[in-house]
Amino acid sequence: MPILEARSLTKTFRRPDKASGFKGAVKHLAQRKYKNYTAVDGIDLSIDAGESVAYVGPNGAGKSTTVKLLTGILKPTEGTVRVMGRDPHTERIANAHDIGVLFGQRTQLWWDLPVEESLKLLKHMYGVSDADYKARIAKFDELLDLGEFMPALARTLSLGQRMRADLACALIHAPKMVYLDEPTIGLDISVKDRLRAFLREMVNDGTTLLLTSHDLADIEEVCERIIVIDKGAVAYDGPITELKAHYITTKAVNLYLEDAVDVPALAEKFPEFTWAAGEAPSEVTVTYESARFSTAEVLGSLTAQLAPRDLSLSEPSIEDVIRRLYAGELTR
Amino acid sequence: MSHAFAVDRAFATVAFKRRLAYKTQWMVALVLGGGAMLVSMAMWRYLLADGALSGYDWDSMRAYIIIGFITATVVFGAADWNIADRILDGHIAVDLTKPVDFQRARAAEYIGSMASTVPTVVVGVIGAWLLFDPPGPASPTAGVLTAASFVLVFPLAFGITYMTVLVCFWTKRYLGVMWLREALLSFFSGMMIPLAFMPSWLQAIAWALPFPHFTTTPAAIYLGHVDTAGALGLLAAEAAWAVGLWLGARLVFRRAVRKVTVHGG
Repeated sequence: MPILEARSLTKTFRRPDKASGFKGAVKHLAQRKYKNYTAVDGIDLSIDAGESVAYVGPNGAGKSTTVKLLTGILKPTEGTVRVMGRDPHTERIANAHDIGVLFGQRTQLWWDLPVEESLKLLKHMYGVSDADYKARIAKFDELLDLGEFMPALARTLSLGQRMRADLACALIHAPKMVYLDEPTIGLDISVKDRLRAFLREMVNDGTTLLLTSHDLADIEEVCERIIVIDKGAVAYDGPITELKAHYITTKAVNLYLEDAVDVPALAEKFPEFTWAAGEAPSEVTVTYESARFSTAEVLGSLTAQLAPRDLSLSEPSIEDVIRRLYAGELTR
Repeated sequence: MSHAFAVDRAFATVAFKRRLAYKTQWMVALVLGGGAMLVSMAMWRYLLADGALSGYDWDSMRAYIIIGFITATVVFGAADWNIADRILDGHIAVDLTKPVDFQRARAAEYIGSMASTVPTVVVGVIGAWLLFDPPGPASPTAGVLTAASFVLVFPLAFGITYMTVLVCFWTKRYLGVMWLREALLSFFSGMMIPLAFMPSWLQAIAWALPFPHFTTTPAAIYLGHVDTAGALGLLAAEAAWAVGLWLGARLVFRRAVRKVTVHGG
């Protein structure tokens, strides 16, 4: 049973159509022209309870607009959304009780007050009992080190602290469905790691998660399913493992030889592989089909015949796949 | 206390604390808030030196100026910018993900921020009382009804402010809207000069608007310019404006929220 279902979800905005410069500004004053811009174009989504879904796409693809439609902030131009059986826009308040939302670029902390004050206000808003509040704050403290900056004014927090506090704000009421929009934006690697570990635990506890991020490590470490959106429409929807298995069909080995490499000669000698010159004259990259050759087989053959002074393996990454999906080279 | 009132109180408390967070500003307002009142006193003492004008003598004008100070401090000291900013910078997106009625939450915040000006009012009124010894209310009943009128200023001020803040959904700017509202409020409330000094047609316009209830209504009740029935009528009109603006704002918000266009994260 899906916890979230969207059918033909469409959002069109009206934007001023204004020529640049002073003349354009004056002309727009006298004769206003607008253009319709479709940010989300007929998206169908179905997310089951307990799923962890990455929602990715290039800048301007419509990710944040989709999240705002799913959370009830925006009213769809066309199509329907049901979250736990409710329309999140018309039944906004009831829906808000069961969801947690974090917009990485917008804090929900009261800027001029201690973090604790914001959390206490949220406790009242969601009607969280004293016992639950204490237990959750203790858990956030354990996983996110919240205690160290609870008494600090929100405006004095570092970005990492601010994001951890915002995450606590989004989850203080133990929501069933959580939307995180760029939760690791601008964070250093250690804070990212802690946030990801926290999110994994949250998902393991049964919370449904929709995560938008430009950081593919967030996606790989936290989510099982990926939806790629581009130009307002779904370009791919499926398990991350399947995406990898389906589209990451090749692997690569970088070889560092003693002397300059003659790439055409190697290509002739090993026609089953694809050869490309590396950055230095003695470097070469060998690409092979992972379904045909095992890595051990390839390494054995190459080291025996070429005796490289060093080598490195290029780890399979979904980054290239997503880049190619964005570019429209791949479709499901 | 029901859950809804507990939430209101929490919002009001947070808004109050936010004002106190800027201690210097708050302390300066506390100490110097009555400055404009002193200027008014000096001006009207000079103007009324030769006797009453339009029914106001120096005695009644002293009380009038103090009443104007109370309402002006409470109304102009409230945090209307906080609501406008949230609409303009897109933070309303965060507000709309919370399980609270947007208007009610903003009302609680607004009233909490108005309450933060009460100490300034108390200090100013005590100081003015000691310096100028104004007359007391026309009767104990007038005193009670004046207090009721002051209480109604809170929801009425919110209604007017919130309505004008919602205009930001269309204008995308707040400054001009705020200036217009404050100019209309200062002029038609009688804060600048009592309505009795204005030509009758301008007074008629003023009484067709909610603004006179910010100074003229409490002053008229306090000074006994209206009898008890008249005072109750004014209070009913004040309450009706507060309720009407509350309901009107709901309709406006319903349209305005469709205009939420928060782009980019």
